[in-house]
Amino acid sequence: MNLIDLYIQEVTRRLPEKSREDIARELRSTIEDMLPEDYTEQDVTAELKKLGNPAVLASGYLDRPMHLIGPQFFGIYVQLLKWILPLAVTITLITFFVDKMVTFSGDQAVLTVILEAVGEGIVRVLGTGMLVFFWLTAVFAILERVDIKEHMPLGTWFKDWTPDDLKKIPSFPKEKAIPNIEVYGRLFWTVIWVTFYFNASSIVGLYEKGQEGLVFVTPSLNQEVLDAYWPIVVITVCMEIAIAIYKWTVKQWTIKLAIVNTIFQFVSSLLFIKIITDPDLFTSSFSSFLSNLFTQVDKPVTWIVWGAIATFIICAAVDAFQGFKKASIRIVTGNVKKM
Amino acid sequence: MSTLLNSLRTELRRGTLTLAVLSQLRSPQYGYSLVLSLEKNGITIDQSTLYPLLRRLEKQDLVTSSWDTTESRPRKYYVLSKYGMDVFLQLKKEWEQLSQELYELFKGDDQNEFN
Repeated sequence: MNLIDLYIQEVTRRLPEKSREDIARELRSTIEDMLPEDYTEQDVTAELKKLGNPAVLASGYLDRPMHLIGPQFFGIYVQLLKWILPLAVTITLITFFVDKMVTFSGDQAVLTVILEAVGEGIVRVLGTGMLVFFWLTAVFAILERVDIKEHMPLGTWFKDWTPDDLKKIPSFPKEKAIPNIEVYGRLFWTVIWVTFYFNASSIVGLYEKGQEGLVFVTPSLNQEVLDAYWPIVVITVCMEIAIAIYKWTVKQWTIKLAIVNTIFQFVSSLLFIKIITDPDLFTSSFSSFLSNLFTQVDKPVTWIVWGAIATFIICAAVDAFQGFKKASIRIVTGNVKKM
Repeated sequence: MSTLLNSLRTELRRGTLTLAVLSQLRSPQYGYSLVLSLEKNGITIDQSTLYPLLRRLEKQDLVTSSWDTTESRPRKYYVLSKYGMDVFLQLKKEWEQLSQELYELFKGDDQNEFN
């Protein structure tokens, strides 16, 4: 095959079947027009060089874009990715955690189970992340190619941009905003502590170094005592979830949210004190173990209880205070800045 | 510097090339004759830009094409359609107005440069 044939083939093989023949014919006649009467291979080389890379020429003929996701969809693509990715990861982690909790049989060392679960959890999260990324990209790549509307950048949610979209942009300062990660983190934390709470007798306890890693010797807490408080624990969990959802919808700290948050912190502190001061909470074996360990201290369990209460209240107070502090941040407008 | 200049120049010329091509298609032309007539008037256009552009214009119903097989070498001729003619005349008017405005704008600049 000569150079001209090869060049035409290189262009047309990149084109849709139905337009190949016509473009090939056109190209051939054009190339021959460019050449002198008795042309040499050098002439051909020179003219083909003018036509340039066949791949570039072919892409000029194609109507479909070379990019995967163009400017029209890129904005909303990133927006959805930012929104769906953390949500999918959180849901994956929660379901994974609940699943682990339910299927936990109790005959393995808990620490080993936890370590395994962390590893498996990371794999799951990566899997979910890739799946979301892949499908979202695939959907948008298809949209990019089948969309027949005029190419204009879209505003939010697939509607054409209007000046009203400006009003939807949150106008509160960054310090006042509640990042989504805070909400997801909160939900995840709830799942973790509830899991620990209802499995305390098999997780929290004394471990000793055995022949096969750590061996669970004796639980620190009486599970029956913990289980007896289940109605108030469930109510607290519901409150915690409700606040997380509320935070997620308002997206910024308000005085109202700060008040609700303070009430919640107060109620959960009360609940915590109520449970931890239950005389039967700690197992007798744990109490005696501590007494043997700290011989100089009188009733070490009491010290632990008071320490825990103090820590909990301080954390709750700081959290409640932070809410008010963030809620009271004033928005500095452009006019004020100008003076 | 020169790459920026080049990309700005390409951007500036992109729209005018379509107009230039349309202007030459009031009478039927085949690809290479179009290249030559544009070059004669000092307009250089990459051939790899021109041929796909011609097909695109045809797809947009601005030009029509036909194969002439009477000569020894078959050639595809392009010519403005009725619709293409209307669009071309309007674009031309737009261009004339725009270049006039820019001319006035630049004239003001030139005076300022001497002050």
